Amino acid sequence: MRIEGRTALLLLTPALGLMAVLYVVPLAVYLVNGLHAFRDGRIVPVWTLETTRRFFADPFSYRVIWASLRLSFIVTALTLGIGYPLAYALHTRVARPGARVVTGLLLFSPLVVSVVVRTYGWLILLADRGLVNTLLRQAGLIQAPLGLLFNLTGVVVSLTHILLPFAVFPIYSVLSRLDWTLAEAARDLGADWQQVFVRITLPQSMPGVVAASLICFTLSLSAFVTPQLLGGGRVQVLPLDVYNSTVEINWPEGAVAATVLLVLSLAAVWTLGRALRLVSAA
Amino acid sequence: MALSGGAPVEVRHLLKRFGTTAAVDDVTFTVGGGEFFSLLGPSGCGKTTTLRVIGGFERADAGHVLIDGRPMGQLPPNRRETYMVFQRLALFPHYHVFDNVAFGLRMKRLPEVEVRRRAREALALVRLEGMETRRISELSGGQQQRVALARALVNRPRVLLLDEPLSALDLKLRLQMQEELKRLQRELGTTFIYVTHDQGEAMAMSDRVGVMDAGRLLQVGTPLDIYERPQTPFVAHFIGDANLIQGTVDALEPRTIAVRAGALRIHAHRDGWERLGAPISVCIRPERVWVAAAGDSAGGLRGRIEDRAFVGQAVKYRIDVDGLPLRASVPYRSGTPLFAVGETVAVGWDAGQAVPVPADGGGFEHADVADRRDLRPAGPASA
Ligand SMILES: Nc1ncnc2c1ncn2[C@@H]1O[C@H](COP(=O)(O)OP(=O)(O)OP(=O)(O)O)[C@@H](O)[C@H]1O
Ligand SMILES: [Mg+2]
Repeated sequence: MRIEGRTALLLLTPALGLMAVLYVVPLAVYLVNGLHAFRDGRIVPVWTLETTRRFFADPFSYRVIWASLRLSFIVTALTLGIGYPLAYALHTRVARPGARVVTGLLLFSPLVVSVVVRTYGWLILLADRGLVNTLLRQAGLIQAPLGLLFNLTGVVVSLTHILLPFAVFPIYSVLSRLDWTLAEAARDLGADWQQVFVRITLPQSMPGVVAASLICFTLSLSAFVTPQLLGGGRVQVLPLDVYNSTVEINWPEGAVAATVLLVLSLAAVWTLGRALRLVSAA
Repeated sequence: MALSGGAPVEVRHLLKRFGTTAAVDDVTFTVGGGEFFSLLGPSGCGKTTTLRVIGGFERADAGHVLIDGRPMGQLPPNRRETYMVFQRLALFPHYHVFDNVAFGLRMKRLPEVEVRRRAREALALVRLEGMETRRISELSGGQQQRVALARALVNRPRVLLLDEPLSALDLKLRLQMQEELKRLQRELGTTFIYVTHDQGEAMAMSDRVGVMDAGRLLQVGTPLDIYERPQTPFVAHFIGDANLIQGTVDALEPRTIAVRAGALRIHAHRDGWERLGAPISVCIRPERVWVAAAGDSAGGLRGRIEDRAFVGQAVKYRIDVDGLPLRASVPYRSGTPLFAVGETVAVGWDAGQAVPVPADGGGFEHADVADRRDLRPAGPASA
């Protein structure tokens, strides 16, 4: 037992060390700034709640928080809405193992490309004179170009695309571990395949759905590059707020915004973690 | 529960392959309405596969299944009158016990009052009252098996397919549930197709038994028939204990045959299909073998006791008869003389109790024949 404990510690040391040096320490050092003040363009290292109070007194802060949550909710809902049927089809309809591997690779291929490159790709595609608008206009479907860029739509489309594999993978992996004799039993008891899906498959795959939600929601909440490049300044979310404040050397305000972001993420993790425990208690 | 009247089931020349191996190989049998029919055989012989084809879970490569005279074709399980108790139970882990049992009734959109009444009844039937709100994971293996039974029975099936439904129970509960199931089956008049690899269970419960091996149905008959008249060495071995002596037919007499097996010449019952000079096996049940002190016996063979085991109601001997290993099971009452290991004894049997069995590969063309007198080939009949 003791040896096992020591071995575990030994195995965990590199990871724990890395976390401490690269994550916990800098994060703490940065967040501590939230307890300092920012006056006349300078950080004043006194212990005060002044910055926090100012952040929460500013209506703009609430707009930013709301924008972040809204973006995360929309993107999560969309990735689940697209990802679940995809995972389901991948599991039930793509029977040949070879075809499954290829589909999986296609699905994950966006992750191979750097976020920045991919986002600039979207710029070309979604611009007023980009591929989508040109095609729609030539087809006579629209007169004026749709505003697909530099607003929420562009950010949502892009984030949904990027995060899709993160939704598909956990759902697919749960589906592929499901006991399919349960579906057979339900069929035997008179259920048609829609009823089997609603009463058996969907409830049984909820752990995958919750895990997918957790990943997509927290990644959307902390997404920076996409809102920055595709939001055109109109999508003011918390990570942008943190970034802008920090660039302006207003570390205290950035730190407060970062703390709020962290709390929101932790709240999401906690809520969905509880949900996961609830749905997998069965 | 109301009588539902079991439907007859007919399986014709069923063939099911997985890859290149035939899991079910040209299987044909008929089950009467309300009959308790068992499929018996060793692990991997194709019992589950046969049942799954009947239930509509597996598509046959050839052959037909008829229920109540109607060909099932590709009808999905939810459109068949069969209900299945699965080998791996397949209970719904996200529902509690009651909702598992009520599932089939809710699919039929019965009024909730009726659903409750019937589900309670079914739970009482399998002695699980008070467990309604338990989760499946909170039940013992035996309790889970009883939920699986209740979940199928509650639908008053006309044909119930049971895949080793009692295998997770301890001996006492298993015997109790065997009686219970048998009683239920008789009262409900349901057709039962019952899969098991436990020959005792099959013998005790069934009206008729089908013995399978390696995808083939070797023999169908009443338990008594199969025990008394095994048609292949496999069946003889699989059902009960058997001494199987191989030899060639040496003489045909009006009621008996003589078989030469090595240095021995033994006598067995004559069925009529035996041919002079042909290879044959003779099946002698250990309890039909008598053992006596070497001196005071008029007839019999000489043998040496190799091993002795006292099992309560009987004494089991392993005897060497001129190189032929023979097992005997002698009923024990207090005072019955016991023979010691190494002792020379006289052994024998009534020729009428020694059953001729076609040697593997020879003999009968079809297994699915209850009365083998029909199959008597025209052999050289001797007076
Ligand atoms: N889905 C499948 N794919 C490939 N082979 C299968 C499949 N199902 C069954 N088999 C094979 O078919 C044969 C018969 O299997 P089956 O499950 O019918 O046996 P069984 O008599 O029910 O055995 P047991 O008593 O162990 O349950 C076995 O050799 C098995 O390996
Ligand atoms: Mg089986």
